[in-house]
Amino acid sequence: MNILAFSQYERADWVRLGCLVAAILLPFTPLANEYVLHTCILIFLYMILALGLNVVPGFNGLLDLGYVGFYGIGAYTAGLLTVHYGLSFWVILPLAAINGAIWGVLLGAPTLRLTGDYFAIVTFGFSELVVLFITNETWLTRGPLGLPGIDPPSIDLSWLGGPVIWLEGDSLGVYYLVMALVLVTLFVMYRIQNSRLGRAWFAIRDDELAAVSCGINLLVYKVIAFAISAAFGAVAGAFYARWVTVISPDAFLFWESFFILCMIVLGGLGNIWGVMLGAAILVSLGEVLREILPLLGLPENSRFLFYGLLMVVMMRLRPAGMLPIAAVAAQMKTTSKRRLAWFKKKGSAA
Amino acid sequence: MSPILEIKNLSKNFGGVKALQDISFDIGRGEIIGLIGPNGAGKTTLFNCVAGVEKPSSGQIIFHPDDDTSVQVGGKKPEHVTKLGIARTFQNIRLFDALTVLDNVKIGRHCRTRSNFFGAVFHTPSQQQEEVAIERDARAALDFVGLKVDYHAMASSLPYGEQRRLEIARALATDPKLLMLDEPAAGMNPQESKELMDLIRRVRDSGVTILLIEHDMKVVMGVCERVVVINYGQWLAEGNPHQVAKDPKVIEAYLGSGAACDAA
Repeated sequence: MNILAFSQYERADWVRLGCLVAAILLPFTPLANEYVLHTCILIFLYMILALGLNVVPGFNGLLDLGYVGFYGIGAYTAGLLTVHYGLSFWVILPLAAINGAIWGVLLGAPTLRLTGDYFAIVTFGFSELVVLFITNETWLTRGPLGLPGIDPPSIDLSWLGGPVIWLEGDSLGVYYLVMALVLVTLFVMYRIQNSRLGRAWFAIRDDELAAVSCGINLLVYKVIAFAISAAFGAVAGAFYARWVTVISPDAFLFWESFFILCMIVLGGLGNIWGVMLGAAILVSLGEVLREILPLLGLPENSRFLFYGLLMVVMMRLRPAGMLPIAAVAAQMKTTSKRRLAWFKKKGSAA
Repeated sequence: MSPILEIKNLSKNFGGVKALQDISFDIGRGEIIGLIGPNGAGKTTLFNCVAGVEKPSSGQIIFHPDDDTSVQVGGKKPEHVTKLGIARTFQNIRLFDALTVLDNVKIGRHCRTRSNFFGAVFHTPSQQQEEVAIERDARAALDFVGLKVDYHAMASSLPYGEQRRLEIARALATDPKLLMLDEPAAGMNPQESKELMDLIRRVRDSGVTILLIEHDMKVVMGVCERVVVINYGQWLAEGNPHQVAKDPKVIEAYLGSGAACDAA
């Protein structure tokens, strides 16, 4: 009976389960050292960011270039609340999410009427504003000096009569903490995409006029998407602040938005599994390049050239990403076939 | 027969272009009414005004004019119009291409359901019940239009005629009282348009009033009980389709004045 029940899982489900088990067991394998764990934590952090950003361009088809603004807002929310009020990580996490969502609504409500590129430019401007605010309002954020002395995340077991565990310099604890955050994010995204809310978003992405004809209020649903996306960005920011314990404005520059956007495009816009894969690939690639580039005598920042190169190669080979949503893949296939036929015709005519 | 929709002195200008001028007619409850006219006559503009996509420049569009649920539709947002019970299909099919057949129709249920973010994340009992109901209603709409395809296939993978049917299923899923079909028979072969006429009659028999834009005169003659002819944005004629087809003014509009003389 059990065997029969298992057989309903597809191959992809087994692969995902395998990845999860591997991720859980990784710290106990000989592969694991401080550096590997650190890189994995970074991958998990970017997975949360990629899943959060994916809501706007992936589910709603709106180009969002200012995602890092919400990441920054979350980080500074967590940092300031920790430094001034000493709040627990578990209290801060929802507060950061709410603050992110509020700013998402404040930015989204007036600007989501804009279409396409105009909206993208506004979001870009927003993320620049956040950085300028953090840099200049030194009374609050200490500006470019950065905000040091943020406590690491803690697990408070005192209510069970146990100790308070501070995850300071404890990569293993942080590793499982951020993995849990990724799983929560994934759970939320997975449930949303199979719900009335998710279907409304996909409808907006595919055809706005048809969506309103089905009774979907475009502005309301886009603002909800923006708020949810911003909330997860802020959660990632809050974790980041408590993890690195020092934050400064230069961690939230525009290129971060672009980096996360590359992840979701690389992985497969709109596919939650794809965007996680994209995060894993690009963060790993960054680490590899960090080793290789100095050997070639290139400055470290030239890694962006390689990200660009990777994107160009992807556009040529798999324009819908590594794991495209099924329909897009099918569409791309027929389009490229048609294009091929067109080229052939051109060739024979000439 | 009490009217379900009353269009009174409807005008729509795009800058200097008068797309619709002073159009008035009623749509009776349970009627199949055709809206015909040469290309560019303003038929789709009229649809868009009723559906809320365009705001009328002047005039009134009143839904349920004779009872106490009477409501002015002109100038309302499209999502409100759908909620009131007016659904439509599009001249060039507009499906959600990257979604499955079933999901397309499920989206049609959007305006009759209400679960939100928290329901979706926590799978609350009410959300679960609603999802079951959405699935049931969507399948019922698909069965009604007689779409015999894999419901988990992508909408874009369907053949043309089936896409038309799917679009009608999606519109029916919104529980309309008035269904507006914009050239549903365009590009269909005779067999398909015959099936379409059967479907239109079955939809009407289920209690939905139908307003139809159509160029295929076989379909108009075969299915419409009354037609309204417009030309250059103006009301031209109205009545039984066979009478209207003999009307010299209508023949002139379609074929030019020489043809009208020949016919006379």
